[in-house]
Amino acid sequence: MSMPKGTKFKSGYATVTDQGLGYREIAEVLTAEGYKMNHATARNYFLRAMEKLASPMVKLVNTGRTAEDLAADPQFQDAMIQILSSKKRDV
Amino acid sequence: MQQFKSYQQATKHKLLTKEEEVDLAQKMEKGDKWAREKLITSNLRLAISEANKFRNSNVPMEDLIQESHIGLIRAVDRFDWRRGFRFSTYAVWWIKQSVRRYVNGSSHVKFPSGSRNLIWKINNVRREYEKEFSVYPTNEEIAEILGEPVNTVANLRSGMQWPINLDSPIGGEDGSRTFGETIEDTDAKDPSEALDQQKLLSLIHGVLENLSPQEERVLRLRFGITEKENNIQNFPSNQYKGVR
Repeated sequence: MSMPKGTKFKSGYATVTDQGLGYREIAEVLTAEGYKMNHATARNYFLRAMEKLASPMVKLVNTGRTAEDLAADPQFQDAMIQILSSKKRDV
Repeated sequence: MQQFKSYQQATKHKLLTKEEEVDLAQKMEKGDKWAREKLITSNLRLAISEANKFRNSNVPMEDLIQESHIGLIRAVDRFDWRRGFRFSTYAVWWIKQSVRRYVNGSSHVKFPSGSRNLIWKINNVRREYEKEFSVYPTNEEIAEILGEPVNTVANLRSGMQWPINLDSPIGGEDGSRTFGETIEDTDAKDPSEALDQQKLLSLIHGVLENLSPQEERVLRLRFGITEKENNIQNFPSNQYKGVR
């Protein structure tokens, strides 16, 4: 059963920006830069970074979700893309 | 002052009897200008009295009196003594119409004359209904009372909303705030929201500083935040050297 393009589920994948890379490509780039890793490791690194970002927010907004759960949430990842990609922000 | 003069002028002339009215009307028909003048001036009191009924309509009393005089003159010119009615019976309709037209015509929303009359009737029905039953009637009830289609009543009621000046003070002259001041500025940033955003950004900033170089690099590649873009400086720890 096909779904319309752009349909997102809670357990789906986060949208990657036009310039964003997939885990295999990230693994290739980092391997070329001398840090050997495969796509699964790239994903683990990514999720760990997201978890670090999620943990203070879990404390700030008490939703009953764990940082690990929030880190894997595509909507949270989308929000992070928007915050980190925004040139207007003052981070 | 003008108003006082009108009152003075009106009370100066004594009221006419039926016979005098007929006599003056007959002379008027023959072209007697004095008779016309006399019929007008003798009924100024009536005109002022009718104008006085509209004094709560936010229109200066002088204007109302002036309009009632115009109505009176129109009535004098159209009065037919042969019908056997008193002049005041006939004139009162012309005076009312003239004043009502002026009062409604000074509104910002223009309605055809017939619709304005209907609005007047709707308002009257609403007022009387409220006085009797302590609730305002529905459009259906008004339509039934007036014998008009519900659609017409609904349309007129939505159109007859009285516009207010945003700069006028709330609660009359003594109000310290204007209506404009009570309108929400949707463009203004909510202070608490801005504070939350600031807090969130400072949290993110703190976390980004604690990312390992590999994590930061992966995040950067995943999100497409490259060194070529200006936002590279947004990552506080720009220490990744690429080789480890």
